[in-house]
Amino acid sequence: MAKRSADQSKGWDFEAAAMPFVDSLYNTAFRMTRNAEDAEDLVQESYLKAYKYYDKFQEGTNFKAWLFKILKNTFINNYRRRQQRPPQSDFAEIEESFETQVSDEVKRRIKSPEEELLEDVLDEDVQRALDDLPTDYRMAVVLADLESFSYKEIAEILELPVGTVMSRLYRGRKLLEASMLSYARDHGYLRNDAEPAKMRSRPGTTNRTAADASE
Amino acid sequence: MKCSSVQEVIFLYTDNELEEEICVSLRRHVELCPECAREVAYKERLLQLLRQRCTRATAPSRLRRRILTSLPHRRGQLFE
Repeated sequence: MAKRSADQSKGWDFEAAAMPFVDSLYNTAFRMTRNAEDAEDLVQESYLKAYKYYDKFQEGTNFKAWLFKILKNTFINNYRRRQQRPPQSDFAEIEESFETQVSDEVKRRIKSPEEELLEDVLDEDVQRALDDLPTDYRMAVVLADLESFSYKEIAEILELPVGTVMSRLYRGRKLLEASMLSYARDHGYLRNDAEPAKMRSRPGTTNRTAADASE
Repeated sequence: MKCSSVQEVIFLYTDNELEEEICVSLRRHVELCPECAREVAYKERLLQLLRQRCTRATAPSRLRRRILTSLPHRRGQLFE
């Protein structure tokens, strides 16, 4: 009977402490698995693990970060392999072309088009760019930019040195930026191009950018 | 602070992870350097777009029910 009431009390304690984070955990799970059904299973499984190890949680430490660490480990162990898919954009290519197109020297001399291009970015472009990020970068970016964790907390969740977190964030955001701008260039091209659609495939015109079109 | 140092710490600055002393020197530099000011504003806008335009997924109520009914202290309870 005593055992039963101790379990009962643990259960209520856990529920009160953990359930307020269900939306945050689900949002992160959804960004990581990129599908609602897997995200639900991942969160459910993480809650059961967290309950099981609740006694091991050290009072006074960061409970939210502890829950996210369990989510991350569950994701890596059970979901990551089957969620892997080739990125829809070739990031190396995008990044490279972005680097060469917009050299630092050019940035210094002319009014950079990126500020304007950024305003052409649509909601779905941001989601697509984020979904296409390699998993390790995506996880760091989601925790920092969508869940507002500090570097120290992200380091704790991902079990990595803070320096590695910083470099994943830096690279992840750079890839996101390149990908978002690339989508925005496409929109600008479509909007600024007065030619009929069938003409656009004419050789030599397919790679025109918004900047070219406005010349 | 030099322009190259601004580049190195720009995300630390936008993420509020930079020591106050360095923040002050960065702000002082940015006041006098339009290129770095533009770069900082650009990065801030980029992160703002990411936060604003990424719709947050909300846990469906059936997931809450699933979690709660699977916890031992609630096992067997029915939820509406």
